[in-house]
Amino acid sequence: MVKQEIQLDVNGKSYSISVFPQETLLEVLRENLGLIGTKEGCSEGECGVCTVLLDGLPVRSCLLLAVDVRGGKITTIEGLSEKGVLHPIQKAFIEHGAIQCGFCTPGMILSAKALLDGNPFPSEEEIRIGLSGNLCRCTGYIKIFKAVQGAAL
Amino acid sequence: MRYFEYFEPKSVGEACQFLNEHEEAKILGGGVSLVVLLKNGLITPSHLVNIKTIPGLARIEWDDREGLTIGGLNHHRDILLSPLIQRHCPILAEAASKIATPPIRNLGTIGGNVAHAEPSADFPPALIALNASLMLTSPGRERKVPIEEFFTDYYENILGQGEILTRIDVPPLPPRSAGTYIKLDKITNSIAIVGVASVIGFDEKGICIYAGVGLGGVASTPLNVKGAKDILVGEKITETHIDKIAKEAQAMANPITNVHASAEYRKEMVYVLTRRALQGSLDKALGR
Repeated sequence: MVKQEIQLDVNGKSYSISVFPQETLLEVLRENLGLIGTKEGCSEGECGVCTVLLDGLPVRSCLLLAVDVRGGKITTIEGLSEKGVLHPIQKAFIEHGAIQCGFCTPGMILSAKALLDGNPFPSEEEIRIGLSGNLCRCTGYIKIFKAVQGAAL
Repeated sequence: MRYFEYFEPKSVGEACQFLNEHEEAKILGGGVSLVVLLKNGLITPSHLVNIKTIPGLARIEWDDREGLTIGGLNHHRDILLSPLIQRHCPILAEAASKIATPPIRNLGTIGGNVAHAEPSADFPPALIALNASLMLTSPGRERKVPIEEFFTDYYENILGQGEILTRIDVPPLPPRSAGTYIKLDKITNSIAIVGVASVIGFDEKGICIYAGVGLGGVASTPLNVKGAKDILVGEKITETHIDKIAKEAQAMANPITNVHASAEYRKEMVYVLTRRALQGSLDKALGR
């Protein structure tokens, strides 16, 4: 069993860690770096709670091997607030009551961030497609879509 | 996941060589299907060979004579957003838009989607309707094969030891042509119960000069409805032609019953959807 040395850029910080080739980015984020805002759900790419941004685009950290990140910049939910001030999308989720249990929220917010970064004024249809990779089992989505619309204004 | 070793080749030659020497090695492209197989213990490779470290395997290019070239490592997102694909083969963008969700489309690759040989995959029917070929590269050798000859069975293809799907070539279509990909799924963008792609091209007089129909989800491999060409080319397309091709597609279909749908249902739907796909392409091509 041979570990590999990899460099990870997570939320603007550089980490040098050694990992086994079969470790996913999700495992490394949670277990090596303690960034537990990224959740583990289905672990097969269906549910979206493990969503992080890789070079600004949402990806499944449960399907991405850590050795395969290869110098890309990772953003997790911990990287959104600045000096303790929540990101406007995070604030919008609170204001619109778009959170119940909160388990899907990090992935939802990161998908919303990628969407709004590329398209600052999305239609409702575009929001629905942008968040289609994130399942929520509590709120029923309407408040989530309203929060993203609110953050876009 | 069971332990495997990891290799990053610097060139296609090096990757082929490594795969040749390590029979139990697997290629890592986007990984969206591979990692799920690994997690479930369905495959237990000795090594993963990450071909994303090879430069030049992600590119979308157009040549007026040769047509469209797509690298095996282009992500579904690249296909969806490429202006060249929008202009020359929009049916590929349509197929890409129906694959899973953005986080999967950002990781998954067209080469992986094809090579995985999942019979319900969305790109193969569209590529069949476009008469695409695949470039398979092995040490010191390249072979170009028509896409429908690539698939041999459920999750099986003709790739030999040390061989990599490096490129997809799509010949140019007539100027007046259009394609449609229709996917029947239970939840939007989940696995296709039936997928039908059709591409039709016309001359200035409205006579059909190109026709291709590809099917997914109705047999152990994607299918090419070869009769579409014989029935349509040289004709002014009518309802009768469309019905004939839909019946032929239905006759070719040999689906299974599984958790997603029964064989009988798939067999009915392939007829309905082939008609709709052809009608859709016809309407688009004739500007209706």
